[in-house]
Amino acid sequence: MTVLSRCLTLALALILALPLVGPPPAPAAEDVKIALVAPLSGRWARQGQLKKMGAEMAIDEINSQGGIKALGGAKIVLREADAGDSVEKAVSAAQRVLTREKISAGIGSWLSSFTLGVTEVAERLQVPWLTLSYADSITERGFKYTFQTSPVSSQQAEQALDLVVDLAKKNNQPIKKAALVGDNTAATVFFFKPLREKLLKEKGIELVVDEVWTPPLADATSIVQKLRNTQPDLVFYGATNFPDSIQVLQKVKEFGLKTHIQGVGAWLVTPEYVTTVGKELLESIQSVVASHPLKGQEELVKKFVQRTGEPFMTQDPLCTYAHVWLIKEAAEQAKSADPKAIRDALAKIDLTTGPAAGALAPGRIRFDDRGRRIGAVPLIVQWQKGEPFTVVPTALATRPIVWNK
Amino acid sequence: MASELTQYVVTGLLVGGVYALMSIGLALIFGVMRVVNFAQGDFMMLGMYLTYFYAVALGIDPLLGALVTIPPFFLAGLVLHRVFLARVTGGGDPNREMDAQLILTLGMSLIITNATTMILSPTPRAIRTTYATQAFALGPVLLNQARTYAFVMAILLAGAMYAFLTRTDLGKALRAAADDPEAASYQGINVRAMHGVAFGVGIALVAAAGGLLATYYPIEPNVAVNFIVLMFVAVVLGGLGSIPGAFVGGLAIGLVQSLTLLVLPLQLQNVGVFVAFLVVLYVRPQGLFGRRARTV
Amino acid sequence: MSARARGYVAIAAVVLVGLVLTFGISERYHHRILTLVFLWATMGLAWNIISGYAGQISFGHQAFFGIGAYVTVLLAAKLKLIPWIGMLGGVGAAVLAAVLIGTPTFRLAGIYFGLATLAYPLIFRIVMDYLGYQEVAIPMMREQPGLFMQFEDPRAFDLLALGILAATLVLSRLVETSRLGYSLRAIKENEQAAEAMGVNSFRCKMYAYMLSAAPAAVAGAVYAHAILFVVTPDAVFGVLVIVQTLTVCLVGGAGTLWGPLIGAAIMIPVSETLDSTLGDKLPGIQGVVYGAALMAVMMFAPEGLYWRVRSVWSGRGGEAARTTRPTPVFAVASVTPAPAPRASGAPLLEVRGISKAFLGLQALSEVSFDVREGEILGIIGPNGAGKTTLFNVLNGFLLPDRGEVRWLGAPITGLEPHEICRRGIGRTFQVMRVFPRLTVEENVMVGAFVREGAPDRARARAQDALARMGLGGRACLVPTGLTTLELRLMELARCLATAPRLVLLDEPLAGLSSDGVELMSSMIRQAPAAGVTVAIIEHTMHAMVKLADRLVVLDQGRPLAEGLPGEVTRNPIVIEAYLGKRWLARHLATQGAIDAQDHRP
Repeated sequence: MTVLSRCLTLALALILALPLVGPPPAPAAEDVKIALVAPLSGRWARQGQLKKMGAEMAIDEINSQGGIKALGGAKIVLREADAGDSVEKAVSAAQRVLTREKISAGIGSWLSSFTLGVTEVAERLQVPWLTLSYADSITERGFKYTFQTSPVSSQQAEQALDLVVDLAKKNNQPIKKAALVGDNTAATVFFFKPLREKLLKEKGIELVVDEVWTPPLADATSIVQKLRNTQPDLVFYGATNFPDSIQVLQKVKEFGLKTHIQGVGAWLVTPEYVTTVGKELLESIQSVVASHPLKGQEELVKKFVQRTGEPFMTQDPLCTYAHVWLIKEAAEQAKSADPKAIRDALAKIDLTTGPAAGALAPGRIRFDDRGRRIGAVPLIVQWQKGEPFTVVPTALATRPIVWNK
Repeated sequence: MASELTQYVVTGLLVGGVYALMSIGLALIFGVMRVVNFAQGDFMMLGMYLTYFYAVALGIDPLLGALVTIPPFFLAGLVLHRVFLARVTGGGDPNREMDAQLILTLGMSLIITNATTMILSPTPRAIRTTYATQAFALGPVLLNQARTYAFVMAILLAGAMYAFLTRTDLGKALRAAADDPEAASYQGINVRAMHGVAFGVGIALVAAAGGLLATYYPIEPNVAVNFIVLMFVAVVLGGLGSIPGAFVGGLAIGLVQSLTLLVLPLQLQNVGVFVAFLVVLYVRPQGLFGRRARTV
Repeated sequence: MSARARGYVAIAAVVLVGLVLTFGISERYHHRILTLVFLWATMGLAWNIISGYAGQISFGHQAFFGIGAYVTVLLAAKLKLIPWIGMLGGVGAAVLAAVLIGTPTFRLAGIYFGLATLAYPLIFRIVMDYLGYQEVAIPMMREQPGLFMQFEDPRAFDLLALGILAATLVLSRLVETSRLGYSLRAIKENEQAAEAMGVNSFRCKMYAYMLSAAPAAVAGAVYAHAILFVVTPDAVFGVLVIVQTLTVCLVGGAGTLWGPLIGAAIMIPVSETLDSTLGDKLPGIQGVVYGAALMAVMMFAPEGLYWRVRSVWSGRGGEAARTTRPTPVFAVASVTPAPAPRASGAPLLEVRGISKAFLGLQALSEVSFDVREGEILGIIGPNGAGKTTLFNVLNGFLLPDRGEVRWLGAPITGLEPHEICRRGIGRTFQVMRVFPRLTVEENVMVGAFVREGAPDRARARAQDALARMGLGGRACLVPTGLTTLELRLMELARCLATAPRLVLLDEPLAGLSSDGVELMSSMIRQAPAAGVTVAIIEHTMHAMVKLADRLVVLDQGRPLAEGLPGEVTRNPIVIEAYLGKRWLARHLATQGAIDAQDHRP
C-alpha cells in the first residue's frame, strides 16, 4: 500500500471510529425534540439550509421566552437530518432521526417527492409532520399525521387566477391571452393542470402558449420566441430549477418581450436572483407563494436578516419558523411532548394569535381531516427594487402593488 | 418558415459549440488514457468558480477569464494524475483499469462537489455581463451575444487544440500514446507522462468551457449535473477518443436538441437527442469519427 | 466436497448470516440498512451477470430496475393488482426490454455498448415525467398490508430482500458453473478467440442480459416498496442507481458473486454511518469522506477487494513445482475416436478466388487453393503477404469482397466464426489469444464445450486434450505461469478440444527456442494420423519445408506458387520475390532432404 492510500485509509478508520468514541452529550430528558428533514447537502442544499435558519430562529425565540410552559419550561431542541439529493436518502434520514430518539414532531422536506416519502415514514411511526409543500398529492393519501400548511397547488391556481384577473381589470388591462411556461415538477404540474383544463376557459382567456420542459432546459429561445409571436397578457411561470429560470428571464429581456410574468412558487423570490440577473430585470415580476413576510412581521424580518446575513426573508425560513411555533402551541395545548398527543392537538387546533398564525395568511390555523389548512390562501409577492414584498391580499401587504406593462 | 428554422439551427449551434468544447477534454482523456472521467463535469464547475473569482476580484471579463483558467487547471491535472490516477491506469490492461478508474473518478467527483458546497456555499452565483441579455440581429434571427462569443471562443480553443495535437511534437506524442502505447514507448515516448499531460489538458479544456458557460449560466456546486450526460453522449457519438469527433458530436447534440422541437414537444427534447444518439451508433457502431477496432 | 457443492454451502452460510442479522438487529434504521445491503447486493449480482461475467459493462442496468419498480407500482396503483403478481409483470417487461435493447446494442463493442445502454434509462426517465408519473406514491394499504408488500415489521422487508438475494446468488452460481458461464468468461477475456472456439457470442450475451434483467426488476420492485414509498423517475431510472451498483460491484470485485456481496456489505453501512454521524452535523462532509474512501479502496485494490484479498492470500501458491517437463505425445488414442479419414487427398477446404481490400490496400487478390484431407499444407510468404488475413477470411472473422470458401462441399463464406468452428475448422492465433484469467483447464474447456454440453464432460475432454499435450500438471494454473511453449501447446489443446477436422495454425512456432520448435513440429506432424488436417502459416521457409507436405506461397496478397516444397523452393518467381538467390545456395545441404521428403509416400 502506498503512503497516500495508507493515510487515507487511516483517516477513514478514525472517522468511522468516531461514533464509538463517544456520543454527543445527551440533551436534558425533558427537552422536546423536533426533527427537520431537509436537503442540507447536494443540489438543494441552499433550500434546506434556509429552512434550518428559520427553524433555529424560532427555537431560540421560544427557548429564550421560557420554553414550553405547559411542560414546565421544557426547551425545544432541533434534530436535523440531511435528506441529501435522493428519495432514498431523504427517507433514510427520516427513519434515522425518528427512531434514534423520541421525536415529538417533524418538519420537511422541500421537494414534494421527498415529502411524500418522509411523511409515509412519519405516518407509520406516528409522528406528526408539518410541511410547506404545495402538491395536492401530499394530503390525498388518507394520512392522519401529515399537516400541510400551504394552500395546495390546484387551489392556488384558482385563487391566483382570480386575483390576477381582478387586478388586471382594475388597471384597465384585461387579460385575454395567457401562457403556461414551466417545468414538469409536481407542484407546477398540479398548478397548471386546472388552469389548462378549465379555469382559463371559464374566464374566457385563450391559452396561446403551453410550453412545459423536463429540467434541465437547454435553451429558452424556442419558448420565448413563441411568447413573442403570440404576445400573451399573462405568463404563468413555473421554473423551479434555478438555471432554467435564469435562462428564460434573460431571454425575455434579450427579446425585449413585455409581458406580465406571474411566477408559481417561492423559488422565484430568492435573493440569488438579484445577484444573478439584477434588480432591473426583476422589477415588477410577481409570484404566487404560500407564504412570505406579511404586514406586522417587520421586526421578525429584521431579526432574521441580522441573524443570518441574508438580505431578506422568504417562504422557506418563514414556514419552518411558523411550523416550530405551531408545534410549540400544540405542545402547550396537549400539555405533552408525546407525538400522538401533539398530533391530536394539531388536528383540533384553532389558532388566531401568535407568531405561527401571524406568519400564515390569512392568520388562522385550522386543519381539515385530510391535514390541509382550512382557509389557506396564497399570496402574491412582487419584486420591487431588488426585494420581494407581499402585495396581495392588500390587507396583509407590506407594499402596494405596482402594476405596469 | 425559413427564418424560424434558421433560428432553430442557429440556437442549436450556439448551444452546441459550448457542449463541443466541454466534450473534447473528455475525449482527449479517454483517447489517451482510456479513462472515463466521472469528475469531468465537476472540473467544469470549478472552472466556472475560478472564472467568477477572476471577474469579481480582478475584474477580468469571463471570456478572457476562461482562458486564464487553463494554466492552473493544467497543472492541477498533472498533479492529480501523478498522485491518484497513475496508480490505477497505465498498466496496460485497459479492461481491468476501466473498472478501477470509474470508481476513482467517481470518488473524486463526490469530494469535489461536496467540498465545494461546504466551502463556497450552495447559494448560486453568476457573473453579470451585459451581453448575456443582448442579441445580435441577423435579419429576423437573433443570436444571443454571450452565447455567440462563447461559441467563437470555443471554436478558437478547439482549433488551437487541434493544431496542438497535429503540429506540435508534444501533440503528436500524445496521439501516439493514444493510438498504440506499446509502440509509442518503443519510440521513447514516456507514456505515463503523456497520460498526465492528457489529463491536465483535458480538465483545462473543460474548465475553460465552464468559464465560457459562466457568461450566461449561473454557477453552483452541482451545476455539472445539467451537462454531464450530454458530454458523454457527445463524446461517444463522435467516436471515443476522437477529438474532432467529440467536437462534431457536441455541435450535433446542440443541433438535435434544437431541431427536435420541430417534431417533439419540449418535454421530450432530450429524448430526441438520445434516440438520435442510438440511431447513429447502430449505423456506425464506432461513432461518427471513431475507428473500427482492428480485427485479429 | 466438490467445488460446486462448496459454492452452495457458502451461499447457505451467507443466508444464515443474513438471518442472524435480521433477527438480531433491533433498531428500525439498522433494519433499513440491512435491507439496503441485500437489495443493492442483488442489483450488483444482476449487473455482474452481464457486466462481470460477460465483460459487457453496462451503464444502463437501471432501466430494468426502474421497469420493475414502475410496472409493479403502477399495476398496484391503477389496477389494485397485488405487487407479488405485479412483480412478475415487471420481470416480464424487463426481460422483454433486455431483448429489445440487447439486440441492436450488442453490435457495439466495449465501452460503446456501455454508454449506449445509458441512453435507455435516460429516455425512460423523461418519458415517465412526460406521462405524468413524476411522483407515484404507493398507496398505503392499512388493511392487508402484507398482500401489498407493505409491512409494519421491518424484519419482513429484510427477509424479503434476503430471499431475493439468495435466489440471485443461486442464479449467479448456476451461471458461473454452467456452460454459459464458461462461454461468458471466454467472451470477456477475448471475444474473438471465443468465437473461434465455437462460442456463439451474441446468443450467450443475450441470455446473460435476460438473466441479469430479471433480478434487477425484482430488486427495483422491492426497493420501491421497502425503501422509497414514492417512485420518481430519478429514483429508479436515475444515474444514482447505476452509480450505487457500480460502486458495490467494483469495490467488491466484478466477475464473482462474492464481489457485490462484499461491496454492499461494506460500502452501504459506511455510507449510512457517515450520513448519520457526520452528515447530519456537518452536511456535505459525508460525501467527501465517502469519496475519499472510494478512492482509497480503488488505489489499494483496483481489481476489487475480493480479487485482491484472494491474490494476496493464495498468491504464493501459484508457482507450482516446475520440476519435470514431460514429453508431450500426440497420442492416437483419444476420448472419442477420431473419425476415419476420408480417402486421403480429397479436398476438405476449397478456396476459390478470395479477394479482400482494406481502405484501398488490396490485402488478398484472387487466392485459390485446396486443402486436402490428411495433409499438412504450408502457407508461406513475406510479412504483409496477407497470410493472417487469409486465415481470418477462412475462419469467419472477415468477409471477403469476392470469392468463395467451401468446406466439405458446402459454402461457408460469411458464416460466423463460431459456426465455422462447429463445422470442424479450428484455429490458433499468431499473437496468442489465451483467456488470461481462466485456468489452463478452463481455457481448454471453452473449446470442449463445442462438443459437450455438460461442464463435467467438457472438463473430461479438456483434461484429455491437455494430457495429450503433456500439460496435465499445468491444468490448474493461470496462463501467466506458463512458458511460451506451454502456452502454444495449450492453445493447440484448446483448438483440438473442439474436435476439428482441419486446424488453421497461425505461426505456431513463433517465439519458441529450437527445442520448442522441434517439439511443436513433431506434434504437428502427428496430427494427420490422428485425423486432423493442418494448414499452417509460417514465414521461415526453413522450418516450413521440414513440416509441410505442400506449400502455397503468397506475396502481397497474390498467390505466387503452389506445390511440393522442392518445386516451390526452386521456383524462380518465388526466389525472386521472397527467397532470394542465395537461399538455395545456403540451404543446399537441406535440398536433398527436401527432395527426399517430397517423394515420401
